[in-house]
Amino acid sequence: MDFKNLPPVKEQIMKCVRCGKCRSVCPVFAELRYESAAPRGHVFMVQMLRDGVVKPSEEVSKRLTNCLMCEKCSANCPSGIDIHELNAAARSYISQTNPSLSKDLIFDTLWTKPALLNFSTSLMWGVQKTGLQNLARKLGLMKLLPGELPQAERILDAVPLRNARSMIAEYNPAKGEKKYKIGYFLGCATDLLNPDIALATIEVLTNNGCEVIVPRHSKCCGLPQIANGKIETAQRLAEHNSRIFNAYDFDYIVTDCGSCSSALSPKNMHFLLGETEYALEGEKFAAKVIDLSKFLIDVLDVNIPANNNARKITVTYHDPCHLANVQKIKEQPRELLRRIPGVKLVEMSDTNYCCGGSGTYSITHYQTSMKILDKKMAMIKLTGAETVATCCPSCTMQLNFGIREHDMNCRVVHPIQLVRDAIRRKALHSA
Amino acid sequence: MDSVSIRKDLLNMLGEQKVLTEELDLMYYSYDSSFLTQLKPLDPWAVVLPDSTADIQAIMKYAYENQIDVIPRGAGTGETGGSVALNGGIVLDLSNFNEIVEIDQKNMQVIVRPGVVHAELNKRLAEYNLFFPPDPGSSLMCTVGGMVANNASGLRAVKYGCTEQYILGLEIVLPNGDLIYTGGMKARTLKNVSGLNLTKLMVGSEGVLGVITQIRLRCWPKPKARGIAMAVFDSLDDAPATVLEIYQAGIMPSGMEILDSSAISAVNMFKPEINLPEAEAILLFEVDGNPPSVEYEGNVIKEVAGRRARNVEWSTEPQRMAQLWEGRSVTATAAARVRSDGTRVFAGEDISVPLSKVADTLRAIRKLADKYDIKVVNYGHIGDGNVHTAPVINTSIPEEVEQVKKLVHEIHLLAIELNGSTTGEHGVGAVRRPYAEIEHGLAVEYMKKVKQAFDDKGIMNPNKLF
Repeated sequence: MDFKNLPPVKEQIMKCVRCGKCRSVCPVFAELRYESAAPRGHVFMVQMLRDGVVKPSEEVSKRLTNCLMCEKCSANCPSGIDIHELNAAARSYISQTNPSLSKDLIFDTLWTKPALLNFSTSLMWGVQKTGLQNLARKLGLMKLLPGELPQAERILDAVPLRNARSMIAEYNPAKGEKKYKIGYFLGCATDLLNPDIALATIEVLTNNGCEVIVPRHSKCCGLPQIANGKIETAQRLAEHNSRIFNAYDFDYIVTDCGSCSSALSPKNMHFLLGETEYALEGEKFAAKVIDLSKFLIDVLDVNIPANNNARKITVTYHDPCHLANVQKIKEQPRELLRRIPGVKLVEMSDTNYCCGGSGTYSITHYQTSMKILDKKMAMIKLTGAETVATCCPSCTMQLNFGIREHDMNCRVVHPIQLVRDAIRRKALHSA
Repeated sequence: MDSVSIRKDLLNMLGEQKVLTEELDLMYYSYDSSFLTQLKPLDPWAVVLPDSTADIQAIMKYAYENQIDVIPRGAGTGETGGSVALNGGIVLDLSNFNEIVEIDQKNMQVIVRPGVVHAELNKRLAEYNLFFPPDPGSSLMCTVGGMVANNASGLRAVKYGCTEQYILGLEIVLPNGDLIYTGGMKARTLKNVSGLNLTKLMVGSEGVLGVITQIRLRCWPKPKARGIAMAVFDSLDDAPATVLEIYQAGIMPSGMEILDSSAISAVNMFKPEINLPEAEAILLFEVDGNPPSVEYEGNVIKEVAGRRARNVEWSTEPQRMAQLWEGRSVTATAAARVRSDGTRVFAGEDISVPLSKVADTLRAIRKLADKYDIKVVNYGHIGDGNVHTAPVINTSIPEEVEQVKKLVHEIHLLAIELNGSTTGEHGVGAVRRPYAEIEHGLAVEYMKKVKQAFDDKGIMNPNKLF
């Protein structure tokens, strides 16, 4: 990767006039309030790196990685700067010059090999189920973990025994008349931590005339690699996934994860592959990628049968950053919820305020992440909702942790799970 | 004293939570929004993040004893290099000192610390049906302390005036650490003519006399209704002519803004949903007050502006009003969009000219831009003759940098020649300091004497203003 010649680095840095609008929307800056945590500060530091004023070092990295990559700044930048791309490029540049064995192992090896990742998750299941995790906590062994990990390890939800891939078929025929041929991009977190979302997605899609194929060899979307200074690995993943999905003749490629759909969006695929020989392959792939809620509303116009016996529930919807800021998808998940019989949608005060999860940020920057989460939980509490819906597994994990920490009587679901349940209930009542 | 010892002393005084000492962290305080610092970032020796008057007194006493420059800073959104250290020194980042101390609804006042963000203050005041009227384009990020130091105004100055009109009193830490209260800082009165008016002296003094640590602001009742008219002109000259005709019709809008053809393109590129029509110029009028008066004034504007405009759109629909007003308020930075390989630079961007000379000014600026072959975007608060010019250049091309320096110099001289001022609201800082003598003549000597009276060692934000 030629850092200095990457298009955002070459073309966009100059456009930053340090107006500071990004300061007003950045959740991290809102907590820390010093300039190195401000997005315009990140742009400035990337400029200093580019110009050789500072050397690529762990110290620079420490400042640049104090960012959620939520893209709120980019979405609000009057000069149109992709601040997150600049930051990602700089992180990668620093990683190249300051290699880290643990990062290489996690993001280059473990996270790019689904079987290994699945095996690690199974190990985690074992550790949780056998009580080893609790024992380690009681013995104070967690304190031996580096940095903020001793506290952050508690964020992880209970890991399920079986991942989604082991429970779903590669080929899932449409029920009734076939309308679309769908490729389902199964994200790592849905696969390993929230398999029920994958089951619900396939059930609802096939019930609505979609033939759903889950390519066996798809890999991670690349977002964790981008956020952790591994752009070249993310590029390889993007090439791989493009090849796998382009081999089929899909009408659409659907994913239930807001982070995956943002990583696979045309803009991000262009960022990764635009200057490579795989540009066209990536473009073709990205053009078909669509978020599940957008597909269900804008394309399928899904009909959820009325049900007078539907259980009444109050739901509030949390906008995942990668769906709302990056893809501007805010209305479709809400419309989906409104179509579910019995659901009363109540909005929290700032639906688009980050939950502080953002993939690995909650682990690497636990303290700040928790301050951001506290704000979000206070907003949720005020709605009185018993269910929080969201379309991102990272938000789901973070919000679940917030619920445990704040001792709230609440649950987090993906809207597709509510849709599936509503369809099933209606079928039961009809029977 | 060397910078390492200064940092060590500050750490001992305030603790590591309030002092930034690492070279990398200091670099982040080397800029504001000015072209000056874009070309040459200027690192301070130390940055402190005080959150009490006592902290600031301690810092000032220390700086006074050791003759160290101190540079107060809000959100760093200024365009003049006013909040950066030109020759080292301690930067006081006041944005953490951001408490709304008291909202006194019965007396129509609010007391704030300097780091409170303007938009956040108005959000809180709205709960009491109050507002603080000056409305800078940087409302979402700028601090009230910065507004006071620069006597900021903005989009609604035409009716509501500048920050100075709302300052009832100030708490100031002087360069030697003394604490003074000016005007009605300790009173709750709306009128107060007792003593020399040090409040007015401090407002707009850009940090060269002392550090503002507390502000008592007068608030206004929040208007119940609002409407926005957009008039579209095929001829640039018709826009300033219409402004005069609106005044002559007895209407005082709360805002009167102009965007020229380049500004219109920039806004549409940033927010396509705003969808401004292509034209030589657009005027945006905002009227506020009670519902019948807003309706009446809207009708008059429609009628008067309609005589010259191709089209007049009137809206009281909140979403459309927000769009139009946002379109104008983001023009400052969205200007860069008119050139894919360029950026907007903040230099020569804030001249103020007599109302009767606005058309001449806009024509002259276009001529100068042609002379130096630089693309400019013109917009501004036409209702009070405050013209904002945004040159858009490629800063990596040295010839363009040199040309733009010449252009803005001529724009500043143009303002003075037209009986105007080099700055209407953004302030002087370091970048307009060279024009002080041309603009003020002998008065500059008396300004220096005033500074000497407050700051005998010359440590408060030196080499700024005059």
